[in-house]
Amino acid sequence: MKAFLILLALLPLVVAYYTLDNAIDPIKMIYNTTGIGAILLLLLSLVPSTCKRVCGLNWLRYRKTIGLLAFAYALLHVSVFVILDSEFDFVTIFEKSLKKPFIYVGAIAFVILLLMALTSFKKLFAKFSKYHKAVYLALALALLHSFWAQKVAGVFEYSVVTVGVVLLGERVWVWRKG
Amino acid sequence: MNITPEALFEARRHFLKLGAGALVSSTAISQLLAELPKDLSLSFTPDANLLKLSSNTFEQITNYVNFYEFSTDKTAPVKLSQNMKTTPWNVNFSGELKTKQTLEVDDLIARFGLEERIYRFRCVEGWSMVVPWIGFPLYKLLDYLDPTSKAKYVKFTTRHDPAMFPDQAKGIFSSINYPYVEGLRMDEARHPLTFIAVGMYGKRLLPQNGAPIRLVVPWKYGFKSIKSLDKIECVENEPLNTWQVQNPKEYGFYANVNPAVDHPRWTQAKERLLGKITKQETLPFNGYEKEVAGLYAGMDLRKFF
Repeated sequence: MKAFLILLALLPLVVAYYTLDNAIDPIKMIYNTTGIGAILLLLLSLVPSTCKRVCGLNWLRYRKTIGLLAFAYALLHVSVFVILDSEFDFVTIFEKSLKKPFIYVGAIAFVILLLMALTSFKKLFAKFSKYHKAVYLALALALLHSFWAQKVAGVFEYSVVTVGVVLLGERVWVWRKG
Repeated sequence: MNITPEALFEARRHFLKLGAGALVSSTAISQLLAELPKDLSLSFTPDANLLKLSSNTFEQITNYVNFYEFSTDKTAPVKLSQNMKTTPWNVNFSGELKTKQTLEVDDLIARFGLEERIYRFRCVEGWSMVVPWIGFPLYKLLDYLDPTSKAKYVKFTTRHDPAMFPDQAKGIFSSINYPYVEGLRMDEARHPLTFIAVGMYGKRLLPQNGAPIRLVVPWKYGFKSIKSLDKIECVENEPLNTWQVQNPKEYGFYANVNPAVDHPRWTQAKERLLGKITKQETLPFNGYEKEVAGLYAGMDLRKFF
């Protein structure tokens, strides 16, 4: 089941690889595939615990896999920024990025995911699991990042924000009930 | 083996029919002339292409567009626009003019003739392409309209027709304010590079590219090159263009391509030429510095962005 989940989640990357030659704006295409992939998987990683509370289905064993897949997409997304978009010009990356909120908001989200990925393995997870609630912050920042990246936010941006608000809202509701 | 291109084959058939028509009556001839295939009706002077630019493919140019009246997506307008009725299409000329009037696009073509201009096109989002436009320079039109001495700017307006443009029909839920408005200072409008396009790649413009008539200002970001023109007015004061209304911190009136002045969100130093996976340097005024820099002598282009 986990292997199936991984294959399914990586399918868009295979499609992207084979359509790259014909893509009209290839850099933008990989940006979109990896960015949308990361956000959707991040949202999906919140679903198991919501599901358990709301309808009793226990999918918690898939949560780590989904989270790591989200990180893999985010890593590719950042790689596009560093390799294809900025062509390893680190001076420009730092200078320009610090001036552009949508880039550093995305970068902060990525650092959070990176720390979570590094502490996701058994030994460290026991110690750091309480910090893994930071995924909520990473999700909020990623949504803001995708919103700002557009000239004008469209249906996709509004839809994912709505789903995000529902998933985070459910947690606030549970927490306030005590 | 020689195969007659389809267009020529069609043309020959047409010619034969014309000959037959001539034997009948002159109304028959004019009727047949009116039926002449659209693509053949574009005869134009080809661009000498002194900059040796190589154009993006027709497929790339017609499948990657910003046309918010249809959708904010780059490819969605291709499908959404196919039922757009672009003939006949009247353009209204008004404001500070000696000859206010309305003209049909075909009348404009007949009056000013057509030429090709292979231009670089740079979007503020960081992508670029090279397009072989067909049309006529705007100054020819302005000479004909004869603006009065009060005319300091030219204001352009896209057609407002919610039945034709789905995003305009969304009212307060639309992505931007409509109708779309753009403007140029009179000397920018009269510059020989400023162009009114009615075609591309030897064909009439497709709906998603701003059919049937649009503006092209090659040294400015793409959003200045307003599509599907409905109205051209000569006015006394600087018009408020759509993107300036939308987000005045990010978009100014001039919108000259400038690698030294960053957009608050997108770096402008480099660009992605459509179809390429590597990036290229963006040139000041999009490569037309020699021709147009003089228009802005003494202006602080950080302030007048």
